[in-house]
Amino acid sequence: MTSDLRLVRWTAVGVGVALGVLIPALLSDFLRTLAADAAIAGLIVLSLVVLTGLVGQISFCQYSFAAIGAFTVGSLVAGHHWDFWLALVVGVVFAAVVGVLVGFVALRLSGLFLAILTIGVALFFDRFVLAAGNWNSFSGGLSSWRPGRPSFFGIGLHGEYAFYLFAFGVLLAACLLVWNLRTGKTGRVLRAVRESEVAASTVGLNLTAWKLTAFGISAALAGLAGALAAVRVGSVSPGSYDFLHSISIAAIAIVAGAGSIASAAAGGIFLIFGREALIDWTSLSTQWFDLIIGAGLIFQLVYAPDGAVVDIERRVMRRLRPPKHLPREAEQRAPDKVPAAVG
Amino acid sequence: MALLQLDEVSIRFGGVQALLDVSLQVREGEIVGLIGPNGAGKTTLFNCITGVLRSDSGHIAYDGKDLAGVKTHRRARLGMARTFQNLQLFGRMTVLENVMVPIDAFSPRTPVGDAFRLPTARFEERKAEERARALLYFLDLLDAADLQAGDLSVGMQRRLELARALASNPRLLLLDEPAAGLDARETAALADVLFRIREQFKVTMLLVDHDMALVMRACDHIYVLDFGRIISEGPPEDVRDDPEVIQAYLGEVA
Repeated sequence: MTSDLRLVRWTAVGVGVALGVLIPALLSDFLRTLAADAAIAGLIVLSLVVLTGLVGQISFCQYSFAAIGAFTVGSLVAGHHWDFWLALVVGVVFAAVVGVLVGFVALRLSGLFLAILTIGVALFFDRFVLAAGNWNSFSGGLSSWRPGRPSFFGIGLHGEYAFYLFAFGVLLAACLLVWNLRTGKTGRVLRAVRESEVAASTVGLNLTAWKLTAFGISAALAGLAGALAAVRVGSVSPGSYDFLHSISIAAIAIVAGAGSIASAAAGGIFLIFGREALIDWTSLSTQWFDLIIGAGLIFQLVYAPDGAVVDIERRVMRRLRPPKHLPREAEQRAPDKVPAAVG
Repeated sequence: MALLQLDEVSIRFGGVQALLDVSLQVREGEIVGLIGPNGAGKTTLFNCITGVLRSDSGHIAYDGKDLAGVKTHRRARLGMARTFQNLQLFGRMTVLENVMVPIDAFSPRTPVGDAFRLPTARFEERKAEERARALLYFLDLLDAADLQAGDLSVGMQRRLELARALASNPRLLLLDEPAAGLDARETAALADVLFRIREQFKVTMLLVDHDMALVMRACDHIYVLDFGRIISEGPPEDVRDDPEVIQAYLGEVA
């Protein structure tokens, strides 16, 4: 990568972070809670950047993984008086384990069949796991869990701005980790699995292990989002994690483009503030928001098949660095000396 | 002892007997050719050897070890690599990345090391890139390192398949029609590349191709496959004159 490209990227990230810290400072508490919600939704979009963007698998049950994080925190903190941070770790690990289990069932599936399987998982959570009467010690039954806000190294997160900054920080840290994964061996290997399974296994990659790794990481990120949502709202109820949320977030991840980490921020903001703007500025009901996402999906599939954010990034890149032309087919000549690193 | 030994391998797809009692052996250091008309079962045989398909009966042994039940990625770890007739490159990844993936597959890096950019992960990354670039240089692809693999010409894609196969440092290289889609000049150059690879990497090869000139020139020993059966074998000059081979290729001799 050329250095000016790197400069542009870091400037964009820096400006984004500065705006992310400063703008909510000027907003009302209500808008700050929405901003925290946007950061949390961004984490779920990020979980799809791993699963869909890297390994090419679709999932319509990300909110079920989030529910595992949320209800683990809810039941342990509110029901058993656990420390929030310990409950958070347990929730994330639990979500990752369930993600691996779902991944195991999904191993030989892709595309439409995988979509149907994940819808099945989501409905299983909606109608059974979280339904009152089945596992009340986890779902809370008819009353919802009310976990209190934790403090972060002695700093209370009760204020809405403080909590927003915390959620934003978690999102940034998660984005950094996913960025590192993507640019390292893990990202390369997962993309190779997406591109050609037969070639990937022939060069020595264990397809099973890598697909399960992707599902595990993705579910862990969604579980982390759920754990944050539990204490953001201060109450955990099944309605916030139903299957339709998973559909919307998958649609948004695709519209924004699962190939880019910036989609996490853009998707989270669009989901939360887009819906809010629709209610505030027009007389339309929230159902229209789903219609707008649907229209966006069609528009994106036709005009920017890799997603809006990815498309914008690509346009900027092309501005900065015109595409290299293919070198003319090099003459096949035997090199006179062979580098020592070969063999 | 043979590096690769097949004993009476058979496989059937529904009503088609794709392979019937195929026995062959590839000794260490040899370039062995496998030729035969379209649909003779050559690619099927490769898929059985690499574990993509499981044969109905017969034994495949590698380095004296029976491969029954050994998964494809495990066979790669034993030292097998292959190229694909229908080009299975990682199309939307760069040329460099394509060659780094097999090196990654053998490296001990974990997602945790990647996520936190541990020093070991960064060291392995540098090492993998250096080795991948050296291989690209070897196959004259270094100028194309940052291009998308799917954008290359067929000739370059064939060479990239070779580079990727060599990246895992194999003992046995299975080449599935490496000359398909190449013109006469490129095909002639390919034989030189194969000799250089054998010399440089001390690698044993099993070469499938239609191009008689290439196979005759490159191989020490040739097997001829027709309708799933081995109909002839021997040194190139013997096989070339075998009437049964001529008949299989050209039809009934008048």
